[in-house]
Amino acid sequence: MSALSDPPTMAFLCRTDLKLSAGKLAVQCAHAAVASLQYAKKTHSRMVQRWKESASRKICLAVDDEEEIEYFLNLVQKASLPFALIKDAGLTEVAPGTVTVLGVGPAPRHTMDSLFGELKTYE
Amino acid sequence: MIDLGFRSFLHRITAPKFERFVKNNQPLKMVFVINHELKMGKGKIAAQVGHAAVKATLQSGELRPEMLDAWLSTGQKKVCVKAHDVRQLEQIEHQAKHHQILTSKIHDAGHTQIPAGSYTVLALGPDEEEKLDALTGELKLL
Repeated sequence: MSALSDPPTMAFLCRTDLKLSAGKLAVQCAHAAVASLQYAKKTHSRMVQRWKESASRKICLAVDDEEEIEYFLNLVQKASLPFALIKDAGLTEVAPGTVTVLGVGPAPRHTMDSLFGELKTYE
Repeated sequence: MIDLGFRSFLHRITAPKFERFVKNNQPLKMVFVINHELKMGKGKIAAQVGHAAVKATLQSGELRPEMLDAWLSTGQKKVCVKAHDVRQLEQIEHQAKHHQILTSKIHDAGHTQIPAGSYTVLALGPDEEEKLDALTGELKLL
């Protein structure tokens, strides 16, 4: 499959039950993006290169709660994809140590689709 | 270190040290300024800020690695604020360049929600809090 039809994707799984403000959510996803990229640079450097050269596709998905994040974390680890689980320091909106976002990838789009196909995008 | 060529060796000796950018353990942060007139959804904003964070991190890794390391090891503070329109974003970008703060701007490809090429986010830093507050201090948090 060519790189064009299958652009590497990074996904952010965001908890909806915390009802974070837009700014807080954005910052959490930024943390996830940087952290997951640093992980992936070590283990999946060619994928990272392809991801940067294509559109650096990113997508925000909604999950219900921490349990669901843990479920997907398990899947991601089994598939040995790069990931970053973000726990907030708790200085502003949520309690310290709260899991807010799971960043996954970059990984091939079809892998992402098969793992997270059932999830909705975050509105 | 051993496999460096002669020119790299010379460069290491003569190039300005990055340490001068990081003085007396000032707190560092990265600021994202969102273009609020586009009325993007939360998920959209989050993804755009993700783009900006990655771009800013890679850029500062090339240009100011010492600053990046200091920021990464002190909790990677990030803040999100909003600007009214493109003009305000461009104004802030201009001022930031004037003060030698690193900037990364993100234009959307326009696959979802907004027209292609829209100027969505401006990332500043990582840099000293004081310098960034002077530029973005009066903007509202998102």
